[in-house]
Amino acid sequence: MASTGGGELKYEMAQNAYIKLVLHALKHKTSAVNGVLLGRTSPKNESLVQIEDSVPLFHNHLGLLPPLEISLIMIEEYYSARGLGIVGYFHANERFDDTELGNISKNIADHISRYFPQAAVLLLDNKKLEALPKGKDRSPVVQLYTKDAYKNWKLVAEDGGIHLTFKEPAANTILLDYISSEKWQEVVDFDDHLDDITKDWLNPDLFK
Amino acid sequence: MVTKTEESQLNKLENQVDNGGGGAWEYLCLARKLKVRRSDKVLKYGLSILNDSRKRSSQGSDEWTLYEQVAVAAMDCHALDVAKDCINALQKKFPESKRVGRLEAMLLEAKGSWEDAEAAYSSLLEENPFDQVIHKRRVAVAKAQGNISVAIEWLNKYLEIFMADHDAWRELAEIYVSLQMYKQAAFCYEELILSQPTVPLHHLAYADVLYTLGGLENLQTAKKYYSSTIDLSGGKNNRALFGICLCSSAISQLARGRNREDKDSSPDLPSLASAALEKEYKLQASDKLSVLTSTLKCLRVSS
Repeated sequence: MASTGGGELKYEMAQNAYIKLVLHALKHKTSAVNGVLLGRTSPKNESLVQIEDSVPLFHNHLGLLPPLEISLIMIEEYYSARGLGIVGYFHANERFDDTELGNISKNIADHISRYFPQAAVLLLDNKKLEALPKGKDRSPVVQLYTKDAYKNWKLVAEDGGIHLTFKEPAANTILLDYISSEKWQEVVDFDDHLDDITKDWLNPDLFK
Repeated sequence: MVTKTEESQLNKLENQVDNGGGGAWEYLCLARKLKVRRSDKVLKYGLSILNDSRKRSSQGSDEWTLYEQVAVAAMDCHALDVAKDCINALQKKFPESKRVGRLEAMLLEAKGSWEDAEAAYSSLLEENPFDQVIHKRRVAVAKAQGNISVAIEWLNKYLEIFMADHDAWRELAEIYVSLQMYKQAAFCYEELILSQPTVPLHHLAYADVLYTLGGLENLQTAKKYYSSTIDLSGGKNNRALFGICLCSSAISQLARGRNREDKDSSPDLPSLASAALEKEYKLQASDKLSVLTSTLKCLRVSS
């Protein structure tokens, strides 16, 4: 089984899932933000997790339970009817040089991994994001964490046995396009929805 | 804190200026009055006025307030050269000013020269120990460096003197929540509710923290504060309506097998809240109605 370190666990992330979360972080530059990853284990290969979509959650008071509980139930209800479940968690820290995975993230990720043991945690890498326009980096601007054999969240080394790749290789190029057109202004998260239910956390028209 | 009306007024002006309809000066005045953080727009519109010598001089003495406003916005957007230019202009006009000295210290902070900024703020505070802005900038310097415990300590000291500063209480509460120090966050919201008892957002935040703390007593109190939020906001607060449903569900789970007295004291409340939510969604977000209904069903089943 590939659920512990040293296995050949692979995460393949759809471009839109990735871009939505990075744009969300850029929309709220002065706060921490988080989101969930939706997907499934590949029916053909149980050590491949396909991350198909994402939902940006909050940009305020990430440590409070009520909005989190409501959002997770709603998201599960919506996506399970479409064959997808919550397979991971995304977090961007408030400060540029904060590269730590905090306790709030770990708690939420623990909860998610209770239902999906191969859950992935993605932490936005601000330095990589900053360097994106200058270099030709085609890898996701995130750090990947998974649970090790001792049930702790461990940073996955770039040359480790676990990999995070894009489904569409040009994801960063598209991301840069959206950044320069300030597309982040259109991203709606769950906080926005709870404040105004006409705002749709599914972001159906974001990439049209 | 800004009301919904004030926010939409500001947004309307912002759209107007963005689409070439003018009104930049009105926008800048409103942004200054409401103390909102829209630094990219303030920088853009402010510079358009400052760089045009006719527009600039037509503002009279307000020109200098604009320089200050643009300097701060520039620092927030990391346009440090623009900030320096504005500060230089202010320095020339007001050579001995402490207010300009404050901006110079902020520029050091914006550059990330933490020790120099700290020293500048400390010396400014020696001459004027009651400058609230500088006290808060020192907290910001600590926060920016990741010294959260120092930030908390200084913010607490600040609040001992300036206990009517509601924004500072809210900032402290947010810091505590981010560290999962919920009891301390609850204390801050209690202070806010005491001094501003008719502001529903304080009741809501307090209820959210109590629910997060958990335990039967906290849940029952949270339910009361969700109720007062709904009362104070004329029934229009969806977060509070959800809160009622969550509390009822959690209370029933905890009270299972306990004495009757511990059970839900107001059993009609969750169904009223659910009905209110369903009505709202049917009206304004009908595509999400089925997701809402199954969510509410989940909460009832687990109770």
